Amino acid sequence: MSRANFLKALQAAAMVVTLIVILFPIYWMVAGSLKTQDQLFAMPPHWVWMPSFAGYVDAVQNTEILQNLVNSLIVVVSAVALGLVVGAPAAYGIARYRFRGRRDVWFWYVTNWMLVPVVVLIPFYLTAAALHLINNLIVLILVYQVFIVPLIVWLLVDQFSAVPIALEEAAQLDGLSRIGIFLRIALPLVKPGIAVSAVLSGIFAWNDMLYAFILTPSPDARTASTVVLSYLGGYTIPWPDVMASATMVSAPVMIGGLLVHKYIARGLTMGAVK
Amino acid sequence: MKKWGFAAAVIAALGMGGAAHADSWSLAQAAAPYKGMTVTVVGLDRPSYQIAQKLTPEFEKETGIHVTWDIFPYEDTLKEETLNFFSNSQQFDAILSDIVWPVNFADPGWVVPLKHFTDNPALADPALDEKDFFPVWLASFTVHDTLYAFPFDSYAGLLYYNKSMLKAAGFTAPPTTWQQLRDVYLPKLTDKSKGVYGYALQSARGETQTADSFTRFLWPWGGQYLNIADKKILVNDAQAQAGIKFRQSLVPYMPDGIVSDDHAQVVALMQQGKLAMITEWSAFDPTLSQSLSDNLGIAVEPRGPNAAYSAFGGFAYMVSAQIPEKQQDATYLFIQWLTSKAEAKPLIDGGAVLGRVSADTDPAAQADHPNLAPMVATWRTAAVPDWRPQLECYPGFSDIVSDWGSRIELGEVGVKSGLDSMAAALTKSMNSSDCWSKSNDPEQAIALYK
Amino acid sequence: MNEMSRVERAAPAVVARPSRWEAATPWLFIAPSLILLLAIGLYPVIYTAFASTQSWVIGMDPPYFAWFQNYENAFTSSDFQDAVLRTAELLVVTLPIELVLGMMIALALDSAHFGPLRWLLQVCLVLPIAITPSVVGLLTQLMFNEQLGIINHMIGVLGIGPIDWLGQPASALGTVMIVQVWEWTPFVALVLSAALSTVPTDIDEAALLETERWWPRFRHIQLPFMWPGITAALVFQTAFTIKEFDMIFSIESGGPGTATETAVMQIERVAFRGFDIGMASAESIIMLVLSILLARLYIRLFYREMD
Repeated sequence: MSRANFLKALQAAAMVVTLIVILFPIYWMVAGSLKTQDQLFAMPPHWVWMPSFAGYVDAVQNTEILQNLVNSLIVVVSAVALGLVVGAPAAYGIARYRFRGRRDVWFWYVTNWMLVPVVVLIPFYLTAAALHLINNLIVLILVYQVFIVPLIVWLLVDQFSAVPIALEEAAQLDGLSRIGIFLRIALPLVKPGIAVSAVLSGIFAWNDMLYAFILTPSPDARTASTVVLSYLGGYTIPWPDVMASATMVSAPVMIGGLLVHKYIARGLTMGAVK
Repeated sequence: MKKWGFAAAVIAALGMGGAAHADSWSLAQAAAPYKGMTVTVVGLDRPSYQIAQKLTPEFEKETGIHVTWDIFPYEDTLKEETLNFFSNSQQFDAILSDIVWPVNFADPGWVVPLKHFTDNPALADPALDEKDFFPVWLASFTVHDTLYAFPFDSYAGLLYYNKSMLKAAGFTAPPTTWQQLRDVYLPKLTDKSKGVYGYALQSARGETQTADSFTRFLWPWGGQYLNIADKKILVNDAQAQAGIKFRQSLVPYMPDGIVSDDHAQVVALMQQGKLAMITEWSAFDPTLSQSLSDNLGIAVEPRGPNAAYSAFGGFAYMVSAQIPEKQQDATYLFIQWLTSKAEAKPLIDGGAVLGRVSADTDPAAQADHPNLAPMVATWRTAAVPDWRPQLECYPGFSDIVSDWGSRIELGEVGVKSGLDSMAAALTKSMNSSDCWSKSNDPEQAIALYK
Repeated sequence: MNEMSRVERAAPAVVARPSRWEAATPWLFIAPSLILLLAIGLYPVIYTAFASTQSWVIGMDPPYFAWFQNYENAFTSSDFQDAVLRTAELLVVTLPIELVLGMMIALALDSAHFGPLRWLLQVCLVLPIAITPSVVGLLTQLMFNEQLGIINHMIGVLGIGPIDWLGQPASALGTVMIVQVWEWTPFVALVLSAALSTVPTDIDEAALLETERWWPRFRHIQLPFMWPGITAALVFQTAFTIKEFDMIFSIESGGPGTATETAVMQIERVAFRGFDIGMASAESIIMLVLSILLARLYIRLFYREMD
């Protein structure tokens, strides 16, 4: 085999191995959710078996998983909506205007993104407790803005910059106000950016557990990511139920991630790469 | 004649009226003003609460009061309740207190002394019979001579063993002392190559390490945590060292990774027939008897060289002081019903463990539930209410014990140096927060109930 | 940063002679987000800084001013020191591995062959990044279980004895590292892949004509263009690793003992199980300062490489 072909084969093998390593745990989780406890622990493992939905049925009956999923949905939709309402104009402002303090505002957003969350957690908890807002989903919707707004601003600044100035100038000549230009001209043109930043922010809000289990600890106020708490501390751990819950919790974000896979790197690094 | 008849009738009427008045307390009547209210009760995912939840509809039907159970993992319960009080969120009405938490809830005034309710004839059930609770249980929940809770989920540490495994190794009875257990029983019962173990001690980080693992090997050797009067930490003195050294000598016979195993894991091993003996809370009886049935042997915990001290733990229900008075009354009615003599039998039959003398010493019940006799024996002779100290700073205290206890058990530090470090950390913690003056001594309260 | 200059280049025409109204307008657009972030981002940090000077344990005496007592306690607390060291250990071990593996994947994705396979890999890289971290922790519990886990079964087939992944302190931390690498290497790979795509095609093609050997091309052509991407990957991956809580907590709550307890987890424990708000606040501030210093260090070190 020539050197080039050998390298090619190596490359292919490496890619296949990587794919298996990435996909196997996810397969194991979904497979486990469709097995019974005995089948799950059978060694050597069953690669072909009769699927059973008992895990899902039990999970739904014995825990608040459905309520938790609904809570997550409410939090994600509200948090992303708030983030967009607040972040899109901010992105437009930064994209279109060169003003004093621009760089500082810029770095302020990035710093928020990098904040160690626990710094914000304690005061957030104490304030929410004083306002009797513990177990109220609103606290989560607010606290998630700390990393949603910077993310949305960063992604949309890029998009807004790409809107041709000529269009806006024409509109200005037509007598449209700044706000009008923003709403009627710029915003519709960045719809793909909005969609991507919405999905990315949504993934983070859905996945967070640290804030969720401190700020909304009650079993029926919790969000989906706190699934692990439903199963700690019992006598036995019903693994099929656990895997079923895990699948239900992680499926939405994995699907969301697949939809925006091209933008994940940019989103996570706030576009700092290019 | 008529006069006497009339007088007799009046006297008879008075007599009957009086008698009728004494019987006239009924739950339905007492609960009438609270019909339609909702009481939120904190519970754990353990048999006592599971059967309690099943029986709750009876209470709801009789009173018209709706009851909601909020179930938490044990490790989160103190956090949930403390934060509930701290933020005054009125999330919970019936407060579950572990045996080490009464002073944490009572000192800040977060819970109501039961006297407030038992002195109220409208609420107090004449059939309650406080004296029917084991003294050691009432003492445990008495803070500064005031009773705050009725015991509900009451444990004794017991020795559970697999009869057939013992028989196969040539034993007809379980060990009675720790020495015996290690020197005579373990070598014959342990075969690591086959994955079979003689004894396993649940030691997971947290209260399990502190209570189940560390404290268990303190008292039987004469060790103590502290002397409150002298403000001294005693956890590194000679007796404590002897006890913890003994615990270390058991580790080679136990499964690898035992230090991260909690109740679930050791119980599972026992169910699978891979483990011959465990010392566990009596609450785990239903789980174990389900899988091992007649093969399950139950006995009191082994004695140490100094004395017999078994693990002591359990829970009780208190009434939150932050909720409105009417809510408090409704909550009290539920707690009173749950811990009543009448409910004891159905609860025990459903797998609960309670601290009621009459229910636990009833011969028929003992015949049906072999864990009752050893529990009673333990509570009468081998249990002390301050087995773990009652301190306002207990969470931090227990954390230090759990941390160093784990390190010693893992072999990361030697017994003496580990205990010295633990003592230093405990001393620092107790002194800096002056926790010495924020403690309760339940041992003294026993005299109130004898 | 490059992003800024591109944006600046795009902006000039609109801002001619700002009138009073014109000058105020950008702030109008930005104001809502600024106010929100000030309230939710800055105010809590100030609060925490304030709380760190208080001696404050929930349920005990009311809080009182204690100067820097909490900081002194935090710096001398072996618990906290160990947790910070463990976090450093996690970083120092996983970052290089993620970089190397990520680079390999990025290079493989850049090749001209195996189109469908490359597309599949690129798409699937997203899954470990998007999956809920607490679910990953649960899955780890199941897969790395000593007796019944699939991992031990598979290595058993290769003849390696069962490893007690989660029960021993050393192997528990190792397991966390393995899972961390699984979860984040794809992110690093995607970032490096994006960086790789910034290499101008003409220079790249010229290099391909010069030599068939892979290393010189990588070293002299691709790598120089990738420094911003590598820096970005490092900075963000460091932040993600330090912040990591959900996944590690779901594995074993920091156990066995404190073997897998990172700084963030220790702070959570002090705050919400030990109820010592003052101490936890001081520790949080210390971690905040450390992460800011680290970020600046990276940018200083690596941005130099970029021409």
